[in-house]
Amino acid sequence: MTHPPGFAEIKRVLPHRYPMLLVDRVVEIEPGIRLTARKAVSGNEPWYRDLADDTPATGYAYPPTLLVESWCQAAGLLAASEPTWDLAGDPTNEPPGGLTGEPPRNPASGLDRQDVPTGRVLLIGAITGIRFTGDVFPGDLVEHRVRLVRSVGDTAIFEGESLVDGRTVVEVERVVVALRPAAELAGATQPPRAELAGTAQPALTG
Amino acid sequence: MTTSRCSPVAAAGWRVDRGGTGGEGETGGGGAPGGDPVLAVVRVDPAEPVFAGHYPGFPIFPGVCVVECVHRTALAAPPPSPPPAGLVLAAVESTRFLSPVFPHDELTIKLTWSPEGPQWRCAAEVRSARGRVAQVRLRYRTGGDWS
Repeated sequence: MTHPPGFAEIKRVLPHRYPMLLVDRVVEIEPGIRLTARKAVSGNEPWYRDLADDTPATGYAYPPTLLVESWCQAAGLLAASEPTWDLAGDPTNEPPGGLTGEPPRNPASGLDRQDVPTGRVLLIGAITGIRFTGDVFPGDLVEHRVRLVRSVGDTAIFEGESLVDGRTVVEVERVVVALRPAAELAGATQPPRAELAGTAQPALTG
Repeated sequence: MTTSRCSPVAAAGWRVDRGGTGGEGETGGGGAPGGDPVLAVVRVDPAEPVFAGHYPGFPIFPGVCVVECVHRTALAAPPPSPPPAGLVLAAVESTRFLSPVFPHDELTIKLTWSPEGPQWRCAAEVRSARGRVAQVRLRYRTGGDWS
């Protein structure tokens, strides 16, 4: 890695876009092991748009569910750095894909941000033990720390925490994510249809 | 239109029912231990802001927004005796995502409360026309401080 992955690299890896692209910068990465990323919370985000002017200060706490989403997107960026996972790498984009700055390992199956349905998406399959231990407000810089616990095939388990000014605001015991073809999900748009056993919500998101 | 809640889900079409009565924002305790569960129906509006970026050209309701719907339902139908300070989300104890949610889907949320020491746990099952969407267990503390 020659430089910390910034917003351009993040957009190349994650298919999320405004207002749901909730990671701003990767500040540290050991590919396949751990990653630290930042999310800057702004009162200009759409979630604050309709708040009444007399909303009390506590009403401006950032939604905990979006903190989870943001953390999971950081996990997705770590997954993209894992050699056996091929999330990054749109062959039509420059510079070459991957948060490590290496060439795409398998461009043909990489995510193309312009055509998500033909790519693969990272799905949150299960969440266990996320604790919220503090509020986050506009102006806060959230630091997500993500560690890969283990990965088997196209499924990976992550743990970690989120901090603001050194204060832990979220503790993550376990999040299970899986890499799945987006077309598999697109097929679910044709009801009635049997439940998609074993599939999950696109999650890098969640 | 203004609101007092900061949320990623705008959810214009929302209905919370307890034993045949209903209406968004209704308070007064539901889903009590041993009692009837809280039932909520959320219509997933294609105009939800999250769809613009999740994902462009391929709108899927984020899993965390399904959890948010459960959270909002829990706040709208709190357990029988919440203290004046109200409920604060303390933990997502567990969540399993079982099938995706798309614009126009109608989500049915069945929620029950149970005491967990000084805190409260809500267990919810979320379904759409295609079957089970998610199983969600949230834990709430009471009071406004992080002590």
